[in-house]
Amino acid sequence: MGEPVAALIRPLALALWGAVLLVSTLTGRLELLLRGVFHPLVGLSGVVLLAIALQQALQGRRERRWNRSWALSGLLAIAVLLLPPNPSFSDLASNRNSDLGSEVELDFLLPPGQRSLTDWVRLLRSQPDPQLYNGDPVRISGFVLTQPEGPPQLGRLLVRCCLADATPIGLPVRWPAGFQPQTDQWLAIEGTMGLERIAGQERSVVLPDRIRPIARPARPLEP
Amino acid sequence: MSRLATIWAIFQGLLLEALPFLLIGVLIAGLARWIAPGGRWLQRLPSQPLLAPLTGAALGFALPACECGNVPVARRLLAGGAPLGSALGFLFAAPVLNPIVLASTWAAFPDQPWLLAARPLAALVLALALSALLQQWPESQLLEPALLEERRLSQPLAEVGLLERRSGLVGASPAAAPPPQERPSLATVLEHSSREFLDLAGLLVLGSALAAVVQTLLPRTWLLAVGGAPTISVLSLMLMAVVVSVCSSVDAFLALGFAAQITPGALLAFLVLGPVVDLKLLGLFGVVLKPRAIALTAAGACVVVLLIGQWVNLWLL
Repeated sequence: MGEPVAALIRPLALALWGAVLLVSTLTGRLELLLRGVFHPLVGLSGVVLLAIALQQALQGRRERRWNRSWALSGLLAIAVLLLPPNPSFSDLASNRNSDLGSEVELDFLLPPGQRSLTDWVRLLRSQPDPQLYNGDPVRISGFVLTQPEGPPQLGRLLVRCCLADATPIGLPVRWPAGFQPQTDQWLAIEGTMGLERIAGQERSVVLPDRIRPIARPARPLEP
Repeated sequence: MSRLATIWAIFQGLLLEALPFLLIGVLIAGLARWIAPGGRWLQRLPSQPLLAPLTGAALGFALPACECGNVPVARRLLAGGAPLGSALGFLFAAPVLNPIVLASTWAAFPDQPWLLAARPLAALVLALALSALLQQWPESQLLEPALLEERRLSQPLAEVGLLERRSGLVGASPAAAPPPQERPSLATVLEHSSREFLDLAGLLVLGSALAAVVQTLLPRTWLLAVGGAPTISVLSLMLMAVVVSVCSSVDAFLALGFAAQITPGALLAFLVLGPVVDLKLLGLFGVVLKPRAIALTAAGACVVVLLIGQWVNLWLL
């Protein structure tokens, strides 16, 4: 068993890495890891690697001895295939500053009920007058984002290139008495925008009428 | 447990983003081997102290790869007998001086034209400085031993002694050129490229794992907390570039996220240092340079980038 595997270790390792790239693209795992513009490149590279692996296997030039580093990298590729990425969004968020940079100008404004959490955060940053939104209907979804101080918010992660630059944003929520939001849990909230006073300053807060636990969306990261 | 899951996800993100570029680099190096087997044109590249790195840097425009893809191409240049200065100029400047990286910088910062000029200019200055620094030592102290041996086979006998070359005919005329090499078959080139890809992918895995662990455990907020201070901001963004380890083809989008919080010099330092020195690259550089040369590169790059960042802050703040 050992010898044939050792002889074919090169095409095998190449095929495994090709499979990692292709499977990650086709199963939507990349949605969690990389900005959409790079997905075709990753998928295409997977196809090229698989083609080279096939050509090398058919060519029949066998390896004479074990190459441990290729074998280890092949095992790691199997691990990547078996263990899809499942990051803790709060963990990612806790490590990073919440900043939208200069990107707060809005091109157009959706009606309140159609705004996503990201739309709301951008709107509140560009026109920070809480009175403007008092009583507006809110229908948003996001994950429970723990705060260093105060109750948790409902949050989203923005990504410009890959998971390494995920930037958290959040909206304050007045959680109903008795409701315990679990960190990282995904929730859909319907309600209205209200006002609250924190340290002498008025700010917008989501007043939920209905809170529903949901599964993590297929595209959890926002551009 | 959730920390581990986050490290695993960031590791996969860094790796899956870099592997396609590594493959492009390896395939370009393989193509060069197939098209010009003896690499004679490589030996004819200029070797003057200033012209050599400039030529190497200019080669970057022909090879659209980030720093991961650059390493196999630079190794191929050196193995083919290209002058050391040209190959080092390519290795250090081409990750920034190439069409993809310049386009992504422009796409991320269309409102900051100074950055579009300053980034390639600073990358060129850094490449010239590093190339001049490393050339103070003989090749035998800089280059990885297997590469050095391959390189000596491509160099003319007039430049390398037979003992150094470990092959050849005693008594042969030093002026006699080695017989022209035949073009290898495409299958042989693919075999060589697939070995190279797997060797480099293993090193990339190690680098990405290290970068994922460090950036998950080191709070990003610490690095950005000093955003407004001229010198400290440059230093903290340099550290961030080393830790975050994303490819030069996408780092401008990442920088967009914190550009508003930091000084312009720190922003430039992040965009210039990352493509030359980062945790992910540490292993990859090992196939070209000896550990001592890698340490010299890292130290030299940090000093030059700090000076550039400081100067930009003096000029723009």
